[in-house]
Amino acid sequence: MQDQHIASAFDRDLEAIQAQIMKMGGLVENAIMEAAISLETRDEERAEAVRSADKAIDNLEELINEEAARVIALRAPIAVDLRLVLSVIKVSANLERIGDYAKNLAKRTSVLSQMAPVDDSAGALRRMAKEVERMLKDALDAYVNRDAELAQDVIDRDTEVDQMYNALFREFLTFMMEDPRNITACMHLHFIAKNIERMGDHVTSIAEQVVYLVTGTIPDEARTKADKTSLPA
Amino acid sequence: MTDASLSPAAAPRAGLIATDARTRKRNAAEKRFRAYGICAIGVGLLFLVFLFTSILRSGLPAFTQTVIDIEFTVTQEQFDTAEGKMLKTKEYEKLFIAALEGQLQERGLEVAFDGKAIQRLVGKPGGTIRSYLQANPDRLGAPISFELAAASRVDGYLNGRITRDSLVDSRFLQASDLDLIDALQQADIIKGAFNWNFITGTDSGVDNPGGAGLGASVIGSFFMMLVVLFLSLPIGVAASIYLEEFAPKNRWTDLIEVNISNLAAVPSIVFGILGLAVFIQFAGLPQSAPLVGGLVLTLMTLPTIIISTRASLAAVPPSIRDAALGVGASKMQSVFHHVLPLAMPGILTGTIIGLAQALGETAPLLLIGMVGFVAREYPEGFLSGFTDANSAMPAQIYTWASRADPGFYEKAWGGIIILLLFLITMNAIAVVLRRRFERRW
Amino acid sequence: MNDMRILERDVDTKEVKIAARDVQVYYGTNHAIKDVSVDIEDKTVTAFIGPSGCGKSTFLRCINRMNDTIDVCRVTGDIRIDNQDIYDPRVDPVQLRAKVGMVFQKPNPFPKSIYDNVAYGPRIHGLARNKADLDDIVEKSLRRGAIWDEVKDRLNAPGTGLSGGQQQRLCIARAVATEPEVLLMDEPCSALDPIATAQIEELIDELRQSYSVVIVTHSMQQAARVSQKTAFFHLGNLVEYGETGTIFTNPVDPRTESYITGRIG
Repeated sequence: MQDQHIASAFDRDLEAIQAQIMKMGGLVENAIMEAAISLETRDEERAEAVRSADKAIDNLEELINEEAARVIALRAPIAVDLRLVLSVIKVSANLERIGDYAKNLAKRTSVLSQMAPVDDSAGALRRMAKEVERMLKDALDAYVNRDAELAQDVIDRDTEVDQMYNALFREFLTFMMEDPRNITACMHLHFIAKNIERMGDHVTSIAEQVVYLVTGTIPDEARTKADKTSLPA
Repeated sequence: MTDASLSPAAAPRAGLIATDARTRKRNAAEKRFRAYGICAIGVGLLFLVFLFTSILRSGLPAFTQTVIDIEFTVTQEQFDTAEGKMLKTKEYEKLFIAALEGQLQERGLEVAFDGKAIQRLVGKPGGTIRSYLQANPDRLGAPISFELAAASRVDGYLNGRITRDSLVDSRFLQASDLDLIDALQQADIIKGAFNWNFITGTDSGVDNPGGAGLGASVIGSFFMMLVVLFLSLPIGVAASIYLEEFAPKNRWTDLIEVNISNLAAVPSIVFGILGLAVFIQFAGLPQSAPLVGGLVLTLMTLPTIIISTRASLAAVPPSIRDAALGVGASKMQSVFHHVLPLAMPGILTGTIIGLAQALGETAPLLLIGMVGFVAREYPEGFLSGFTDANSAMPAQIYTWASRADPGFYEKAWGGIIILLLFLITMNAIAVVLRRRFERRW
Repeated sequence: MNDMRILERDVDTKEVKIAARDVQVYYGTNHAIKDVSVDIEDKTVTAFIGPSGCGKSTFLRCINRMNDTIDVCRVTGDIRIDNQDIYDPRVDPVQLRAKVGMVFQKPNPFPKSIYDNVAYGPRIHGLARNKADLDDIVEKSLRRGAIWDEVKDRLNAPGTGLSGGQQQRLCIARAVATEPEVLLMDEPCSALDPIATAQIEELIDELRQSYSVVIVTHSMQQAARVSQKTAFFHLGNLVEYGETGTIFTNPVDPRTESYITGRIG
């Protein structure tokens, strides 16, 4: 297949819209890491910066949707172009959700910084966030390079995040049973853990979009679910 | 949308292998129609074949001429004696008869004949012999070969038009002459030759069909066509271009258009009487002149040329005009640079067809005096070719056909063959031109 | 926000090239164009869309006075190019058409060589001083028409022997050879296959650098693809005129919306 359209303006449109996705991805990656670090270092200012940065992510999502609508209206994309535009819309929605979770993380940081730290859970959460951030980076790389293998790898790595969440879930349960005064902090921390786990799911969804974009089919849902907390014990 | 009443009634559907009655009927009708068409073409071809065979059969003899080919010697003495007599040509005739008798006897053929019979067969040979000798006195004493045209009755006997049974004795031919002809034929003295005179010669008197030629009237036709071409082509093309490309569409131009179409349908005899009234009686141009004939035929050809030129101009796609105007060409540039070259093959074809039509036209020429014994001699020069009295091919043919002597009947058919050859040539040129200039767009 | 917008879509200049005010066109008694006022910008592709018989082609042909060739056609109102009234009696339509080039629906190369097709305009307008000059103009125009590489070895071959898309590009080259400032295109791709169409559209996008291009099209998709501004005509009225992206995603007039969504013809 030729890489170029005869209408070069179409190529420029598609490139522009993908560049915006990458820009948004960069902002979201940054938000995840900044939120996790602010949690660990109890840096309220940093958390505040993450919360205000979410506005830019939301705006970018709106802009991408608008541009995608324009491209559909003006260029009538089909086949791989259509998949690209559809994936752009979905990826931007996923990124926006991840951004929201990061914002939520930063919000809880402001509350948690007023309480006593619960063991080393903040460090564990940062590692988990780091893993999700790496997955997101790989997913976006896979998106740019149309690399279905890397995307599949990202999908598989979500299991690790789920396992980290399981471990933390049990840890927080233990803390709460040990000392009921820990419950408020642990609940917040648990929500943070859950949010990071959800971020991983959204990253997985992005990776699935990459697979769809490259192969034209959505990978089946049969991937191993490691989040067993919802199952009856 | 899926209204049950809209779907066709559930009729039993026949398979594709068996044709149903309706289809059979339609196929039969189609076959019948094709048969009619083939029949029509067949009938047309039949007529054409009939026409051509009858033209060729009746016309080809006009191209041959029976001659009496005899070689004999006239001595200086005989010449002097003959010149001393009162009836000089009579003496030469006697010499001719003597030579003829001698040669017949040589071959052992005994036929009695007299001077009268010779006159019936070859006219008065004495005159021809005398004038030859006078012109070439150095030939005296040496054998001279004379080729004397036989009378048309002799032609008639030899090609079967006259038989011994049908012959009625007259001053033209008698039964006894036939024996002489047979004898001469056996002696190889009388024989057929190609009649160049028919193609190059001038018209002859009413009693000499054998000497009649079409040449002068071909020249007459040629000068007429020159007049027609150089008048009708520029006038016709200019008028067409103006009407088609420039003229506003209003009642006046509509009227002109209708009248041009009407003119094309006006009988040619009307143009003839118009020519007589305007060019000869009013303008005082000479009668029977190719110039006047050409003018009349120009009037007649103009509508044909205008109509065909307009048709070929209109056939040039408007996109070409748009294209030219679109790059900023003026109206005239677009017409002369683009439209006219594309219309040229059509214009040329129309012109040649118009000329061919004019070439074959007779009726108007009758009225301006181009019939009768007018093509007597060739014009002296190029300019006098336009004004000297002359005939034209079809008018000459008409003249011959209306003469009493049956020999002219043959000549008329022969003339038609020549006329048809000209027409076929012109049409062939039209086809070639169209092929050569035709371009796709 | 705007700094992140896809720049391709933006109109580069806001300079008005053609200004029409209250233009009325009558064919005999038929009122074909009613009160059309529009400002067409320089270095912009402006598309005219609308159902058949809506007057879009008629209006286009007013801009280079091609309607003058139709006897019954009467134009009133004011059309100005660079602030000069083109219907001023002192304006020679022949001169105007050299300045406002036109490309037609059917590719219509002259039945002459490729070279002569392009050279014809410069020749009749005396744009070339000598043969070398003319050669330059022909090459430059054919390059602009994005067809030079395909025909440079056979400039003497007949223009009618090219494929439909090549013929149309040849016609575009012929139109730009007279150095026009405005290029009018009347459904330039309606006789072409999709690939040739895409090539022409790409060419139109490139021509936008140098000309004000006005294109009439039946294909709304084409208008969407090539133009920055779109005008929607309906029953002789200019219903809506605006930025193409807006017209195709969020038109103001309900008639425009109905037409572009395929609800009225």
